[in-house]
Amino acid sequence: MRLLLAEDDPELGTRLKRFLDRQGFAVDLYDNGVDAGFYGSETPYDIIVLDLGLPRRSGLDVLADWRSGGVKTPVLILTARDTWQEKVQGLQKGADDYLTKPFHEEELLARLRALIRRNTQTVGEALTVNGWELDEETQSVSNGEQSWPLTGIEFRLLRYFMLHPGRILSKSRLTEHVYEQDADKDSNVIEVYVNRLRQKLGNEVIVTRRGQGYVFGERP
Amino acid sequence: MTSLRARLGLGMMLSLVAAIGLLLLIAGVSVHHLMESQMATRLAHDGDTLLGGLNINADGRVTLDARRIQGIYLQPFSGHYFLVDVDGQVTRSRSLWDETLAMPDVAVGEVSISHVTGPDQQPLLLWAASFRKQGRLVRLAVAEDLYDLQVGLHRLWWQLLGWSLSMVLLVLLIQRYIVGRSLQPVADAVDDVARLEQGEATALREAVPQEVLPLVQAINRLLQRQQQRLQRSREAVGNMAHAIKTPLTLLQQFAAEKVRDTDDATREQLEHYIHKINEQVDTSLRRARIAGDSLGTSRFDLHKDLPVLVDTIRRLHRDRRIEFEQHLRHADTLPLEQQDGMELLGNLLDNAWKWADSRVRFSVDGSAGPPVLVIEDDGAGVGAARLKQLAQRGVRHDEDTEGHGIGLSIVKSLVEALGGAIEFGRSPELGGLQVKIYCRWPEASTGISQ
Repeated sequence: MRLLLAEDDPELGTRLKRFLDRQGFAVDLYDNGVDAGFYGSETPYDIIVLDLGLPRRSGLDVLADWRSGGVKTPVLILTARDTWQEKVQGLQKGADDYLTKPFHEEELLARLRALIRRNTQTVGEALTVNGWELDEETQSVSNGEQSWPLTGIEFRLLRYFMLHPGRILSKSRLTEHVYEQDADKDSNVIEVYVNRLRQKLGNEVIVTRRGQGYVFGERP
Repeated sequence: MTSLRARLGLGMMLSLVAAIGLLLLIAGVSVHHLMESQMATRLAHDGDTLLGGLNINADGRVTLDARRIQGIYLQPFSGHYFLVDVDGQVTRSRSLWDETLAMPDVAVGEVSISHVTGPDQQPLLLWAASFRKQGRLVRLAVAEDLYDLQVGLHRLWWQLLGWSLSMVLLVLLIQRYIVGRSLQPVADAVDDVARLEQGEATALREAVPQEVLPLVQAINRLLQRQQQRLQRSREAVGNMAHAIKTPLTLLQQFAAEKVRDTDDATREQLEHYIHKINEQVDTSLRRARIAGDSLGTSRFDLHKDLPVLVDTIRRLHRDRRIEFEQHLRHADTLPLEQQDGMELLGNLLDNAWKWADSRVRFSVDGSAGPPVLVIEDDGAGVGAARLKQLAQRGVRHDEDTEGHGIGLSIVKSLVEALGGAIEFGRSPELGGLQVKIYCRWPEASTGISQ
């Protein structure tokens, strides 16, 4: 899951990035409205966390630009501004949720997960596809009998597969959604991680479509 | 109270009457003189003719050539008369019949013109002159009745007076209309001020005559300054919130992380303090943000702002299926500044949304004075003890923790700060919590457009 985090406070920004990284998000942190605005419309993010009080360009303006430019990525506004006037403005400009500071990291995480589910039309608390259940708390996957722990990238990759079951996902698309902006992006690495997941869960779990990409959860 | 209209009207009337009166006087006197002098000239001509027709025989007898005498002097009391006196021998015109006229004393070569009373009490203009003819003293007097002339002059004078008065009346009416038209911008400005008070306008229109413009501009500047002050203080409050809450977030997360597994009591204590700081800050900031009765701010519009607010609340609670009903009776706006209204209703509706099973109802009744707002839901409601606690004035919301707490406390402090009244109870129809707000603050009475 590629996540754009726009937060101008360096301490809170770094802290949140670290926390969200640990939760299996590929996080890009921007500390001003202009950069956040540009990358938010250039990169296919899965979710955006936006502070309203950003330097150089206000969060509300950035949000309005994205929505008028056709960016449909779900946006959670994270702000110290907690009046209803501001909530109304934020949601009317196209935000999907609104969380005010101070907040618990777990609260933020729960809201982000809910937004991603809603966006990928997945219902229910746990992410379950074809009998595979992904536990986001422990970053592990089980088939009801056995449970396998996953590494960070394995978890990110499997979650993206499970959120888009039955769809052909190209290597470059997977790379974009699993790695953050400045990571060393070699799409061959995806092949390595797909193979690792196959070793753990069985070869038939992820099917290769030659020249197109991979499909997870294709019904036999 | 002085009226510009009355003063302008009175001033205009007095100056018009004085001017026209003087004009009438001058015109009357001039016409009178002109007519009389024409009449005198005519009399002098008649006198010359008489003198030409006067013959004195060798035996001293005086005769008048009858052909030289106009017919008018032959009709009795025709109003045209003459006397000829030659050395005491007097000849009278036949028109005098058996009356006579007094012959004024006039030296030879002189002419006199005088007003005398003639036969039948006729007012006469009398021309008299003396000559020497054939060595004899000849005195001539010719007179004409002034009555017709005077009547004509009188009639003319009354006609002029009538016309003048009509003119004065017309001019006054025109002036009244012009003054009314000119003062219309003032009446418009007064209307604008009323609309301002009702929150329907945020400034006075500046399309006014240049005499009124400075006043309107001064009021607008004042309003703008007030609005800027409100805006600035709200921005400052927002920045303050931002400045305090980001470090507070860090503190909270630091506390949560450092003492997560080691010490529950310490963590809870820390979180309690952080919560308390946050609530205190919120309370103060919220109070600072209240616009109250600031002029030139727009009101909460039930047809424009409410749908947007409800839409926002629906989005925030996307997972909840709530049926929302609204009943607006005689109410288009609330007597609340727009952001104050957002804050009040946002908290109330958000609270109702959270605790309702499936229905939330919002009613406004503005039919009898200041509007009454009722928000009800069909949730579990709150217990009697909690209701009692909510009803107490000045209960601080940092004492509230769960449930219907914080949102309602915010609403309560907002209503109390505005000077209204709030009631908590059980909804008779829906069964959940019912919150009633009485907008009894001063500007509430002007706030409802019918």
